[in-house]
Amino acid sequence: MIAGLYRVFSNPVYIVLSVGIALVVFTFAVLLPNFPLLSQILPSQSIELSDKVSLIFSLFESIQTNFTAVSATYTILIAILFGMNVSLFTYFVYKQKAIIKGTNSVAGIGGLVSGIFGIGCAACGTFILTWVLGLIGAASIISFLPLGGEEFGILGVVLLVYAVVVTAKKISTPQVCAID
Amino acid sequence: MEQQKLTVPIAIIIAGVLVAGAVIFSNSNGSNSVAQAPTDNQGEQQAPQPSGSTDAVNPVTAEDHIKGDINAPVKIVEYSDMECPFCKRFHDTMNQVMDEYGADGQVAWVFRQFPLEQLHPVKAQREAVASECANELGGNDVFWQFTDRFFELTPSNNQTDLETIIPQIVREIGLNESAFNECLDSGKYDSHIEEDIQNAVATGGRGTPWSVVIGPDGTTYPLSGAQPYEAVKQLIDIALNSK
Repeated sequence: MIAGLYRVFSNPVYIVLSVGIALVVFTFAVLLPNFPLLSQILPSQSIELSDKVSLIFSLFESIQTNFTAVSATYTILIAILFGMNVSLFTYFVYKQKAIIKGTNSVAGIGGLVSGIFGIGCAACGTFILTWVLGLIGAASIISFLPLGGEEFGILGVVLLVYAVVVTAKKISTPQVCAID
Repeated sequence: MEQQKLTVPIAIIIAGVLVAGAVIFSNSNGSNSVAQAPTDNQGEQQAPQPSGSTDAVNPVTAEDHIKGDINAPVKIVEYSDMECPFCKRFHDTMNQVMDEYGADGQVAWVFRQFPLEQLHPVKAQREAVASECANELGGNDVFWQFTDRFFELTPSNNQTDLETIIPQIVREIGLNESAFNECLDSGKYDSHIEEDIQNAVATGGRGTPWSVVIGPDGTTYPLSGAQPYEAVKQLIDIALNSK
């Protein structure tokens, strides 16, 4: 697995790709609760560009105020792991041209979707989770979860780690035709 | 193989659609999205379908709980759940805001109730009622004394010992205990609190703390969550410039 990770991330392109994807995911997660505010402020011509930029940067500080320690941790981990996952998978697909086997892609999808459920606003009443569960009339289910919905984020981290491990192993495994 | 190659891009697209859908549904007027909110003594029920527009914020009147000058050019209407840990955090932030912008009358802070029965059953509603009773017996200043002290003492997240903390605050701020308890058990503020909840949902509130910032020209801005002081300050400055 380590060999697979080294092979991919010794190439600066994949580091840049991972960091870029991680930043996008992190930005999305932190700013998501205030998407309505930003969609109002950013197009406004009466507001100075410097004020818009300052507002965006100040909202990033909400990782400290609007997240629990657990949710801030898994939000950052999901962003990093998702970036790594995309890089590994891109390498796997475009460099090796190998037959994709196994469940890594399934875990990646599960990790991403679960992670997205888990991120969003960690304030009282999660954003996406409340919306989705509200659609099926089961918002109160959150109150029965021991961690109040943070389970989704933790599950996302677990699945993404699994996807990274499996993909890295596949990258480091020689492409051979098995005798059996 | 081709199908498997596409799994990650497809996953990203699905997730993007999911998130975009969430955002669109939560912001569109007349959408089918439904936020569940508690009702007084009726457990949970679905709130009326919200417009999700901050323009639906009820006008600020002298009947509101206001810290600062009611005629301040910028008003921050906060819908709060007294058992929510993020509201506890945001309460400190708002006090900091008032220290800077309240003294010279630039900002008024309006406190409205948004107890989330699903997350903090019984306690959040009872604490909201208690704050209303403090207001009834002591007026606006006592309301703020009560809420400031409550947020200071509460461990929040449904861990507050109501039997200890509320009587302690009542004694500290010098309210008549028997009158307070009578008010607390009367149910007289249930409908008022329900009105605040409905208004929070109508303005787009999906969780707490939820705030609507009203500029001097009447422009309204949504602010979700316990945002840091710098973000609130930045938004106030933008609102002040919207004259």
